[in-house]
Amino acid sequence: MFAIFALITLFGALSVAFQKNLVVAGLCMVLTFFGVAGLYLLLSNPVAAALQIIVYSGAIVVLVLFVIMLLSAHEEEPAGRTMPIQRWGSAVVALALAAGAVRVVLTSGFMQAMKPLKIQGPMNLNLVGVELFRGHLVAFEVAGLLLLATMIGAVALVKKDL
Amino acid sequence: MEHFAQLLHLSPAMAWMVVKLIIAFAAPLVLAAVLTWVERRGAAMIQDRIGPNRAAILGRWRLLGLVQLAADGIKFFLKEDLVTRDANKTLFWLAPFMAFVPAMMGFAVIPFGRSFVENGTAYHLSLLDPGNGMGMLYPMAIGSVAVYGILTASWSSNNKWSILGGMRSSAQMVSYEIGMSVAVLAIFMTTGGYDPHQIIAAQDSVLHWNVVRHFFGFLVFFTCMFAETNRLPFDFAEGESEIVAGFHTEYGSMKFALLQLSEYVHIVVASSLIVTLYFGGWQVPFVKDPAVLLSVLSFAGKVVFFCWVFIWIRWTLPRFRFDQLMFLGWKVMLPLSLANLLVHAYFMHRWG
Repeated sequence: MFAIFALITLFGALSVAFQKNLVVAGLCMVLTFFGVAGLYLLLSNPVAAALQIIVYSGAIVVLVLFVIMLLSAHEEEPAGRTMPIQRWGSAVVALALAAGAVRVVLTSGFMQAMKPLKIQGPMNLNLVGVELFRGHLVAFEVAGLLLLATMIGAVALVKKDL
Repeated sequence: MEHFAQLLHLSPAMAWMVVKLIIAFAAPLVLAAVLTWVERRGAAMIQDRIGPNRAAILGRWRLLGLVQLAADGIKFFLKEDLVTRDANKTLFWLAPFMAFVPAMMGFAVIPFGRSFVENGTAYHLSLLDPGNGMGMLYPMAIGSVAVYGILTASWSSNNKWSILGGMRSSAQMVSYEIGMSVAVLAIFMTTGGYDPHQIIAAQDSVLHWNVVRHFFGFLVFFTCMFAETNRLPFDFAEGESEIVAGFHTEYGSMKFALLQLSEYVHIVVASSLIVTLYFGGWQVPFVKDPAVLLSVLSFAGKVVFFCWVFIWIRWTLPRFRFDQLMFLGWKVMLPLSLANLLVHAYFMHRWG
């Protein structure tokens, strides 16, 4: 099961990168999100899986596709002039980031203490709520404030006469 | 149950799973097929016409026009399968399935009868057992994915009317989902759980039905379900008087049938969601702990009633204008459901 979902995720992600057609690339992104949701399910966290689908597949990508269709930019625009240095630079940076991420995961204490996890039933919303308001209250409130500020900013930018 | 499982050489759990799969898959499909007939006869009734009554078995038995269903099915299968020249062929093929599969998946979590215990094994009448952690988040997730079928169909057919329909539909779905989610949130709050089994168990008498406690939440949810199913007061994706036939302008034959069928399956799922959340699911009014069969019948009866309401409203109300739709969604439905949530939160805080 893990292999199936991982392959779906990887296939979707690679298609997003290599697909020339923007709308198809967007749909591949949805596929990736479904793969990730499946991985969450395997980690016995159905709440995260459901939220992944509701928020990312259901709302964000729909809006992205909406904008793509509105601008009717169906094909990727060719660059004005090619800059090989940009391509190589980005490849190096991406590799460095990937290596760093893998190293962090492999050397973390969690990895050393890894044994077959004992799973006490699937995650549910109640547990998420308790965890959110007990363990991460400040981060939660800050995130809420940040989102509110963003929303007000967006409205202020768009509205001509407030 | 055990006897039946032995006949098939299966374990009771396995046999039960198969039975449930067949029910959860076939019931919405059959009901949806019948709904296409109900829609046409109902429209005829409301508009004082007769409706389809010509098709007949061997030119003899008309069965109130029910034979029309079979005739339409055969016709759809035999039609030529046209794909326009400039369409994106892969997506054009894929789109009907992307509309149909999420529609069929939505029913999986809904309990269609009372759970019962036999020989120490509990049998639950929903495809996903209670305590799966997904609960009511599942139909909402599936429902939010349903828009891709319409979007893909509209974009891939490379037709300006279609794209207009698809864009309207995506804007509409995203705006109505917020009001709907907040309305459902209020139910989670008063129930203290989000599993459909819990929600139904909490509505154990008519006065405890959520439609009484959350009347405004029900209004919001009910309206949003019309938007989610793309039914007439809100069928902007299709809008046949403005944009030909919207997202399925270019579709014909069985692909069109699939798109159409998925709309009716959506109606069935939406009705069962309304029933589960607001009308006590399988609970029978004034009967405590009903028999299993009675509970299933009660659920089916309620669902069929709401399916009829969907059709009834379609042929009664005219279509909104698009700005009216947005006004209704953002400035009426969202504040109403937020107010509903806050009032319930206040009362829960006050009286525990």
